[in-house]
Amino acid sequence: MDLVSMMGILLSGFGMTIRIFFITLVGALPLGVIVALCRMSKFKPLALVARFYISILRGTPLMLQLMAWMFAPYYVFGLSLGPDWKFMACSIGFILNYSAYFGEIYRSGIQSIPRGQYEAAQVLGYSRVQCFMLIILPQVFKRILPAMGNEVIALVKDTSLAFVLGIMEMFTQAKALAAALVSMTPYVMAAALYWCFTLIVEAVLNFLEKKLSYYHD
Amino acid sequence: MTNEQTLLRLEHVQKSFGKNQVLKDISVTVNRGQVVAIIGASGGGKSTLLRCATLLETMDAGTLAYGDLTVCENDGSGRAQYAGKDVLAKARTRFGLVFQNFNLFPHLTVLQNISHAPIHVLKKSKEEAEAHARELIAKMGLAGKEDMVPCELSGGQQQRVAIARALAMDPEVLFFDEPTSALDPELTKEVLKVIRDLAEERMTMVIVTHEMKFARDVADHIIFLDQGLIVEEGPADQVINNPQQERTRAFLSGLSD
Repeated sequence: MDLVSMMGILLSGFGMTIRIFFITLVGALPLGVIVALCRMSKFKPLALVARFYISILRGTPLMLQLMAWMFAPYYVFGLSLGPDWKFMACSIGFILNYSAYFGEIYRSGIQSIPRGQYEAAQVLGYSRVQCFMLIILPQVFKRILPAMGNEVIALVKDTSLAFVLGIMEMFTQAKALAAALVSMTPYVMAAALYWCFTLIVEAVLNFLEKKLSYYHD
Repeated sequence: MTNEQTLLRLEHVQKSFGKNQVLKDISVTVNRGQVVAIIGASGGGKSTLLRCATLLETMDAGTLAYGDLTVCENDGSGRAQYAGKDVLAKARTRFGLVFQNFNLFPHLTVLQNISHAPIHVLKKSKEEAEAHARELIAKMGLAGKEDMVPCELSGGQQQRVAIARALAMDPEVLFFDEPTSALDPELTKEVLKVIRDLAEERMTMVIVTHEMKFARDVADHIIFLDQGLIVEEGPADQVINNPQQERTRAFLSGLSD
């Protein structure tokens, strides 16, 4: 097989990789805010539930979590959900796992904002929601950007874990090609594509960081 | 309206942090146009009193009222009972606070810092809020700095932005919590000048300060607070130049000026 058709097969898997990547971000970025707010809640039972949620999701392998979402409906509830469930299980697994990490990063950012910012907003008459949305959150965004960059780049590569569910993403394709051709080349090409992807993510992160560098605290 | 209209009334305020009683029994009345300076050693309760008045702390007992608006009163058992949320929100429109360390919003420009709350809290139009903000910027001697962010300004300039931000809400009473303590002498001067100008316009102000000369010059009334009690109060000249109480004398002679 020539390199071009090899690349074609890998790129078809790359489409799925990108799909998993964006679905995870779209789900986990907002869900992380909820996780962080629950974790910081003054209502103790809620905070405790959030801690447990974070602890489990960070404390067990993502690969295992994906398997659990895939097979739990059948083994636990006796449901046969058909072939569509595979992608659903993958999405749920990634979103929940990443929401735990994002939530903790948000929390670190929110808690790093000085008390004086809240007090200034309170004295000026902002409601608690206004204070959070208009004063605190924009500042949090700048502070957590480097840490979020780490996680987002980790996600690029973690998408390859979807191979355990037999989802046709790029790593699954590379593995199949390598086995069929008895060659390292598909792996090298896949590695290059993952790296290109992270280069783009890095460029976006750099752009955002520059855009927010107009002020410092 | 006469000049004697009472804008702020604090009666028998008590506040403890754990076992440490910071305010023991403080009563202060501020009338329209009055400039009140609160002096005293660190830990005497000055800032706590200001934080109680501005609703950043809840007091344990006592009365707090802004004009006809009663924010907090003792219930039958002598514990402070606060009014509902809407009353507190209304009370917040009556005062402004200038912090020791400015607490400007770092991600907003000077113009945005000043016009943000009028737009989002008072629901003024952007045009109206910004026009008012520009007036205040000029008044504070900050013309040309509208589009800078706080980190590009000196401490004295930041504090003047903070004063403008408070004034933009048209408060009846403006509180200052040691407004020059974070500034060097040169920058202190420019901030004190702005406060002095406000005093000349008969802006009602309550100023916690360590600047005795300034307090004497700008305030009508001085309160000396020590260990949670008002030791002495009276016309500025009298308290600074001819204090009646031994503790006031000891405090004032301990200062360089």
